[in-house]
Amino acid sequence: MNRRAFLLTAPALAGCATDARPRLNVFNWSAYIDPAMLQRFERERGVRIRYGTYESNEEMLARVMGGNSGWDVVFPTHNRLTPMAAHGLLAALDHTRLPALRNLGSRFQSPVWDKTLAWAIPYMWNGTGIAYNGAQVSNIDSWGALWRDDLKGRLTMLDDPEDVLGACLLKLGLPFSSTEPAHLAKARAEAIAQKVNLRAYLNADVRDQLVSGDVLAAQLWSTTTAQARAGNPQLRFAWPSEGFPLYCDCAAILKESRHPELAHEFLDFLLRPEVAAANARVAATATANGVGQHSIDPVLYPPDDIYARGFWPPPLPPAAQRLRDRIWTEIKSA
Amino acid sequence: MTLRSWSLLPVRLVATVLLGAPLGIVLVYSLLTRGDYGGVEFPWTAESFTRLLDPLYLGILWRSLWIATSATVICALAGFPLALFIARSGRWRNLWLQLVLLPFWTSFLVRTYAWIFILRDTGLVNTTLLSLGLIHKPLPLLYNDGAVLAGLVYNYLPFFVLPLYATLERLDGALPEAAADLGAPPWRTLWRVTLPLSKPGIVAGSVLVFVPCLGAYLTPDLLGGGKTVMLGNLVQNQFTSARDWPFGAAVSMVVLLVSALLLAAFLRHRTAQELL
Repeated sequence: MNRRAFLLTAPALAGCATDARPRLNVFNWSAYIDPAMLQRFERERGVRIRYGTYESNEEMLARVMGGNSGWDVVFPTHNRLTPMAAHGLLAALDHTRLPALRNLGSRFQSPVWDKTLAWAIPYMWNGTGIAYNGAQVSNIDSWGALWRDDLKGRLTMLDDPEDVLGACLLKLGLPFSSTEPAHLAKARAEAIAQKVNLRAYLNADVRDQLVSGDVLAAQLWSTTTAQARAGNPQLRFAWPSEGFPLYCDCAAILKESRHPELAHEFLDFLLRPEVAAANARVAATATANGVGQHSIDPVLYPPDDIYARGFWPPPLPPAAQRLRDRIWTEIKSA
Repeated sequence: MTLRSWSLLPVRLVATVLLGAPLGIVLVYSLLTRGDYGGVEFPWTAESFTRLLDPLYLGILWRSLWIATSATVICALAGFPLALFIARSGRWRNLWLQLVLLPFWTSFLVRTYAWIFILRDTGLVNTTLLSLGLIHKPLPLLYNDGAVLAGLVYNYLPFFVLPLYATLERLDGALPEAAADLGAPPWRTLWRVTLPLSKPGIVAGSVLVFVPCLGAYLTPDLLGGGKTVMLGNLVQNQFTSARDWPFGAAVSMVVLLVSALLLAAFLRHRTAQELL
């Protein structure tokens, strides 16, 4: 930059630095909000939002663990809330500042992981089940079906130790979140037996191959399946009969936040029906908002009788986490 | 301090800050205790390193060495004729060199994804073979060790070709000519004259391919379908779902150690070459 250019831009830079508007720092999963809603909040409140995205809970945790990350609002999955609160990372919610809490759906007014909504407001949710090609395979309604020989080479499982071991445990009639070494050893045997039939361990990458027909059945999240169905209407989604995990991402305020009032206003803004609806449309997933729910897609919103088979996995104790990781490495190396 | 050492100060600073400091952090992390939800805690411990002696992890090390070696050998077999061809193609050589470099204009990730579209059941290879009637059901080309090797060779072949080309290009053309004059058939000239003379290029290329292949994680992940574990995947997993940073750091140190040993052997070799 020459001197002239510098002199021309310097006032602009100085202008940024002295912007008097308060700044809210929001750290969210990628593609998980309607950008127009961020602008609307900025306009309405006369504030600025610094918006950053992450791809996994671990990535977010790594940043905020130190307690001086500079973020105000984050979106942990429900089972990360208790450990985060125990580490003193979260600010307790002030319900008097959140009048729109009443807009939450009945399933989320008092969720098992945070009965009084002390730490976070439920934002978006989905579950793990089975996506399959309805034109080519049938009778897929249980985790056990994923061991069938007719799926050989055209079956994928998630690349996620908790979900894969969980599916093996459920098939065996054992608890999804078991920490018993004997249970986990049986689950390992199931996973290794299944591996010969498996094409790959894939997460969202499987979407294209489900659409193209390369893959006939996949352990997959309901959200990703709903997105894939737009490309191939033959795709079906099964909520397995043995039970299935549900995950809810929740909006929480960090204890380090220097703008807790503004952060509360932002959370209350997210609870508005039309804002929740716009965000759910962009994220193509299910909102926890009861009023802003416009979609009736049963893949995203299972009816009550099916929903009753779902459960919200609790956090895994560190020792169990470590044992599961070892078993996962053994399965992958088998 | 002299002017010369002052002028080198920025270089030293950059080397310290960008090389020394991160490595120091990795080393320190590898000797600490795992935090329950990521991160590291006191006390100091060498447990992450003793854990590496577990046959499970030694198996992964062995497997990574094996795949990296195979990729290097294939790169050598494919890269030598290519480098020789380019070095001898006269005024076209710049064009060929540009073509070798061309893939670097796109992202590594995109190039690796492209292989998925080539190898999958409804991909380029299978649809072509099917439409020609050569096969009747798609070949399982994707998500196995073959696909991982193909991806590694494709991505790292230029690293082999370029240093080898540089050696071959400088090679004194009179030597193969002399061999021919003395009655050696072309294959013999190649085997006894050109190949030994290009050894520095082959060694440099092999190191440049082997080292990144040993730590590769994206290619085995995307093209291997997560069904196999290489050291790179083990490291990645420790920093993400397993939340065991010290162990991930310890595995990184092992990758670094193997690479450093190789580089040291390579440097000795070069010095030996120059002394001769």
